[in-house]
Amino acid sequence: MRRLFADRLVFATGVIVILMSILFALLRVAGF
Amino acid sequence: MRLGYALHGTIWIALYLLFILAPLFALLAGMWPPARDFWTEFAVALGYSGLAMMGLQIGLTARFRYVTKPWGEDVIYHFHRQISLIAVGLIVTHAVILTAGRPETLVPRNMLQAPWSARFAIVSIGALIALVVAALWRVRLKIGYEAWHLSHIVLAVVAIAAGVAHMVGSGFYLVDPWKRALWIGLTIFWIGLLLYVRIVKPLFMLRRPYRVSEVRRERSDTSTLVMRPDGHPGFRFSPGQFGWLTVWGSPFKITGHPFSFSSSAAVTNGLVEMSIRNLGDFTSEIHKMPVGQRVYLDGPYGAFTIGNPADMHVLIGGGIGVTPMMSMIRTLADRGDTRPVILLYGNRDWESITFREELEALQARLNLTIVHVLANPPAGWTGEQGFITAEMFKRHLPPPYADHEYFICGPDVMMDAIEKALGELDVPLSKYHSERYSFV
Repeated sequence: MRRLFADRLVFATGVIVILMSILFALLRVAGF
Repeated sequence: MRLGYALHGTIWIALYLLFILAPLFALLAGMWPPARDFWTEFAVALGYSGLAMMGLQIGLTARFRYVTKPWGEDVIYHFHRQISLIAVGLIVTHAVILTAGRPETLVPRNMLQAPWSARFAIVSIGALIALVVAALWRVRLKIGYEAWHLSHIVLAVVAIAAGVAHMVGSGFYLVDPWKRALWIGLTIFWIGLLLYVRIVKPLFMLRRPYRVSEVRRERSDTSTLVMRPDGHPGFRFSPGQFGWLTVWGSPFKITGHPFSFSSSAAVTNGLVEMSIRNLGDFTSEIHKMPVGQRVYLDGPYGAFTIGNPADMHVLIGGGIGVTPMMSMIRTLADRGDTRPVILLYGNRDWESITFREELEALQARLNLTIVHVLANPPAGWTGEQGFITAEMFKRHLPPPYADHEYFICGPDVMMDAIEKALGELDVPLSKYHSERYSFV
């Protein structure tokens, strides 16, 4: 169960990093 | 996870994300080069974050007590393994997107003539793929643990160093000296983590050796090493914690082995014991260890330790997984702590029950109930048989089940089954603790 928590944390980290990378790209294309 | 640990855990997760994402968004500060298309910028962001994640992998296995405490070392290693797949996935996706529109870059002849930064990228990705393949299929590829461990460290260093060289060589965002300094500083931090683990910590351990003062044979091909600090006071541990043992070599040896302390934590002379079953690998030599042998111990580690004194403690041990339970039981006996304790102890048969006689004797000093569960019981056995199940909890524990604290240690398959059974009994996550001794 604790490993399930770790798995969810891994998934959440992956999603956050991809979303932040999209944000980075959008900001750059928008002129930042 | 206990309440106090929840806050610590949240802070470490926030710091982890900060160390991955802050260096990326720092690239947006100050002067920046003209923007390219969305996909190129997205791929670049994936590359930077993937590299930052890879660098932090060193920190995850650096055995920092404050980092591992909220979860336990086994969960941190599990996270290390899983998150590495995400990091490698990000880096490979970065390369795929950037080369998708330029297939000519994948022609081997062009690769040889490519700029150095591109060659470093190829080296980095090659090392990462080798790293993942060896880690996932080590047993199938018949790679010995120690050889794999050494190659794991070498490949990780090559992948990260080549990744940084590629990043600096590409130079697009790092033309600004401040941004270059930030990323080089981050790389120095990662190297510092590695130096801490492989040089500083072993140097510290070298000054704090232990001597084997007794090797005691136990039931079921198990030997207990009794170790005395040599020229220093040793360390105090909590019952249920573990240490990394290095035998037959110096603390600079790449591979240490984690074992639970099986002795009482109430001793004040620094004496520690580890009970080690012969599993056919280096553990087959433990019983031959001469008295006086110098060994090195790195510890204590782990969040698997006795809880609220008001709660009934349910200890569930499978085979040699009983060692942290023994430490808990011996400690409670030494402290005169008579909180109710039930030990559900699974073994192959009656003769293979390690510590059987001592546990029976300890019942006189404690409020301790022992439930033996045997896979192959002798004729006429009226006790529990087979494997530990939720039905056994119902037979031996007083409801409500969510009021007790559960401690589980044993083979993975047993732990998976028991964690599932506790879930079915509506025992919250905060009330049970588990330690997987197969985590490395």
